[in-house]
Order: sequence, then C-alpha cells, then structure tokens
Amino acid sequence: MEHIAAEVRAQRASPGKSRMAGKLRRHFWGYAFLVPAIVVFALFLWMPIVKGMVYSLQHIDFVKGNTYVGLDNYRTVLSDPVAGKAVRNSLYYMALCLLIGFWVPIGFAIAISELRRFQGFARVAAYLPNVIPVVVLYGLWRWLYDPIGPFNALLMKLGLDQIAFLTNPSWSMIAIVIMETWQQFGSALLIYLAAVLTVPRDWYEAAEIDGAGVWQRIRHITLPSIRHLIVLMLLLQVIGTSQGFQSQLALLDGGPNNTTMTYALLINKYAFTRLDYGAASAMGVLMFVVLGLVAIVQYRWQAKEE
Amino acid sequence: MTSHERGILSHSDLRRPRMRLAYGAMLAAIALMIASMLYPFTVTIFNGLKLNTDLNAFPPHWLPRSWHFENYATAWRYIALPGFLGNTLKIFVGNMVATVLVTGLAAYSLSRLRVPRRQWIYLFFMITLFIPPTTYIIPNFMNLKSLGLLNTFWAFWLPAGASAFYLLVLKNFFDSISMELFESARIDGASEPRCFFQLALPLSVPIFATLAIFVFATAWNDWYWPSLVMHSNRTYPLATAVYKYVIEVRRLDNNIKFALLSMVTLPPVVVFLLFQKYIVRGLHLGGVKG
Repeated sequence: MEHIAAEVRAQRASPGKSRMAGKLRRHFWGYAFLVPAIVVFALFLWMPIVKGMVYSLQHIDFVKGNTYVGLDNYRTVLSDPVAGKAVRNSLYYMALCLLIGFWVPIGFAIAISELRRFQGFARVAAYLPNVIPVVVLYGLWRWLYDPIGPFNALLMKLGLDQIAFLTNPSWSMIAIVIMETWQQFGSALLIYLAAVLTVPRDWYEAAEIDGAGVWQRIRHITLPSIRHLIVLMLLLQVIGTSQGFQSQLALLDGGPNNTTMTYALLINKYAFTRLDYGAASAMGVLMFVVLGLVAIVQYRWQAKEE
Repeated sequence: MTSHERGILSHSDLRRPRMRLAYGAMLAAIALMIASMLYPFTVTIFNGLKLNTDLNAFPPHWLPRSWHFENYATAWRYIALPGFLGNTLKIFVGNMVATVLVTGLAAYSLSRLRVPRRQWIYLFFMITLFIPPTTYIIPNFMNLKSLGLLNTFWAFWLPAGASAFYLLVLKNFFDSISMELFESARIDGASEPRCFFQLALPLSVPIFATLAIFVFATAWNDWYWPSLVMHSNRTYPLATAVYKYVIEVRRLDNNIKFALLSMVTLPPVVVFLLFQKYIVRGLHLGGVKG
C-alpha cells in the first residue's frame, strides 16, 4: 500500500519520466532486439571510423603507448614521393578498369540476350570465375602470364614478340586489369542481362516497322532502357576500384618499381611493412575526405541535371 | 510470329546476308568468351595431373601427356587442408549465426516493432554503408587488437553482425511479409521473441539462404583480412593458408601447386552448379551492392 502511494507521488513529481518508463515497457522487445546490433555497429564500425581520425594525429606505439604528434603523420604522407605515385597509379588503375572492363559486360549482355539457344550455358560459363576462390586465380594467372606460359606461347604462334606481362612496368597494371575483368565481369553481366531482357519486345517490333536498323534499335531502345543501371554500375565500379589493392598485392606486391602500388595498397604497406600505423590512418582519413568531396560534387551535379 | 519470340533482332533481320554475318561474328565472340572462361578452369585441373617437366614444357599443352593422380596424394600430404577447411567453416557458421541473431533481430525490430526514434537508429546503421572500408582498414585492425580479439574467431563472428547491407536486405524482406500474420499471433498471446523465431524466421528462409551464399562466398574467398587478424596455423582459414603456403611458396613444384588449387576449386564449383538457380537469384540482390 505504502509503496503504491510512493509510486503515485513519484509519478506526479515527474510525469515525463514515467511516460518514458511506460514507453520503454511498451517497446521493451523493440529496443532489446536492436541492442546487439547497436553494440556491434558501434564497436566494430563506428569505433574504427572515429578512432582512425584520432590515430592519424598520433604516433602509434603498441608497447610504450601513443603520443600526440599533431599533423606530423599528414606531413609524412604528403611529402612521400611514393604517395604521389600511388595516387597516380590508382587513377590509372581506375581508368584502365573503365576502359578495358566496363563495357565488356554490357556488350556481352546484349549479345547473350540475342542467343536463341544455350543462353543458360553462356550465363553459367561467364559466372564460373566468380565461383573460383581468388587465391586460386592468383596462382593460375601467374602461370598464364609466365614467360613460358600459354599467353606467350600464343604470341609466339602468331609471330609476335614475347611480353613479360608481369615484370614489364608498362604491362603490369594492364595485366592485372585484364585478370580482374575476366574474373569479375560475369556478375555484372547477369545483372545487365536481367535488365536487357525486361525491355518490352514490342518496342523493337515498333521500331523495326518504322525502319530502324539493328544498331539504331540498340542505341535508341536498349541502351536508354538500361541507362540508370549503367550509371549505378559505373558509380559502384569507381568506388570499388578506388579501393583496389588485393590483386596488386597478391600478383606483384606493388612492383615492379612501384608501378602497381595503388593508394590502398600503400595504406597497408605503411601499416604492416613500415609499421607506421599513424601515417596509415592519416592516409585513410585523406582518402575518406577526397571520396567524400567527390560524392558531394557528384550528388550536386546529378541534382542539377534533374 | 508472336511478339515475345523476337529479341532486338527479328526473323526477317536474320534473313539478310549482312545481318547473318554480324550475327555469326557475335556468336563467335560469345563462343570465344565461353572458351576463355572454361580454358583456365580446365587447365588448372589438367596441370594438376601432369608431370612437373611436362607442365614446364614450352609451348604448354592443354591435356597431360600422362595422367598422374598421385599428385593429389602428394598435395594432400603437403598441407593439412581439412584443418584449414574446418576454420573456414567455423567462420562461416559463426558469421551466419551473427547475421541471423544480430542483424536479423535488428531488421525485424526496425521493420515491425515501430519503436520511437527508429529513424535515427536506422540512420546510425545505414551511414556506415557510405564509408568505404579501405579508409578505416588500419584502425579496424588496431581496434580488434585493443579489444584482444586478434587470433580468435570472435574477430570474425562479432563484426559479422555489423553489416548495413544485410540489414537493409533483411528489413526490406520483413517489410514485405503481411502484417496481419503478426497481429493475429500477438492477439493469440505470442511474445515478440516468439513472433520472430516461430513466424518471421521460418518465413524468411529464402532470404537467409541467399545471404548464406554471400556469407559463404566471403568466408571462402577472403584471404587478406584473415592473414592480418589470424596469425597461427591453427586459425588460418583455407584461402589464407593456400595463399601463404601454396601461392607464395617458390620451392613447391608447379604440378603439386595446381593439384592443390584444383582441390580448393572443385567444391565451390560443384556447389555452384548444383545450386545455380538460387545463387543467380541472390545476385540480383547483390546488384545493389555491386
């Protein structure tokens, strides 16, 4: 009896608090279900993101503890000639991926959509390299690109000069992009193919009656119909390739002569070879800032266009 | 001729000689593409069955001169594949449990339980989708180190629940389940956990199956991140072990190398060919992610 009275008094004293308590009781399970996710997102995503900015201002020493060094890490990175080269390499890599890799799945999606038979087989075959573990591909492609491997055998048969695909600095990045295009285009192909197949067949019929040739049908019907998908895939590819480093690391370790040292690879080199975790964090922050600015500019530009 | 029988090309197009030539060229390009996809795959398997001298001959040939299945026995003795495979499976199962329990519960709550301020919580999850992981890969590693999780499987299992992409996919799926079902369960006195485990989970088996394919592919493929987080033979997953002990080793004979690579390649390829339909369906979800 007494404690009920106390509760009533407490409720009168702080109506806000009790409303919150009631809300909490009503939504107890709702919040309880969210708590684990909030904890892991905070601990394993937000914490590293925020800590990265802190680490970028510190000299990291796992034994003696971290010390605040101001902008020293940024100075180290910005005065490193390899960092400038890494930025150029990353841009070159992104450009090559667009030039060599981007149009391939679009072209094949349109071609395969025209197959009357074996369409399923073509899809499965194109997707096959996505299924093979990437480490296997690294071993395989090292052999394919070998001076005594199949590519050079083919070149010899055609009467051309041998190419040291991996050790020749002007070929090394191209070799990596060819490998990645081969490995990855299947998944993009399936996505484009699904879109191409949803274009209503009647549109082609109508265009043909109006006298449009095949190229005109592709240019004025197929491609505009999948335009949004193409733009989305372009953005995703640019975001993805700007972070690329694993193939460069696995096939060539950034060499020969740093020609495949991408920015993301240099981040890892700073951390795990030079053990300069502060500078590595600073590079991460710089990359975040640049990508963020690009995203804002792109968003503004797109908003203006629409 | 019905309208759905045609593609970009119609039957009358294909009767024109110039168009036939172009169509033939297109078929040749597709055939070449398929050959370039199948050649490396088959050559991996055939190389694993050659004598090492046969493999290093120039110009290389596709089929082995003589078949050496004993390469597989040598390869099997070279590294302890079952142990590494076990580690990969451990990572996969734990990551899947985290996806169901942590991400699944959160997605269910956001979709069904209408808690106040859920938009802010949703934003808290979703913003992480826009921050490229490479920009915080080093702090992420140091964070795991300071939490004392390095060289334990918890370093994979716990962060596996923190996937904004899977959360988005699951929430969209829960949004599409009819509300009445849950209302009637609640009227019958079912508690929220019961609604989740006995109603929502069984109904979302297809979506979890699709996510399982993604989670499996990541666990099977990922070699670099585990090579940072794990640092002993007992904890390396298969991909990392293959990279460290097969790809990076120069002394190992090439034919044994390829026999090992074949052994790692065949299981996922067989699984893919069997479950192709589901995997391809899952890809359309993946299209959002790229």
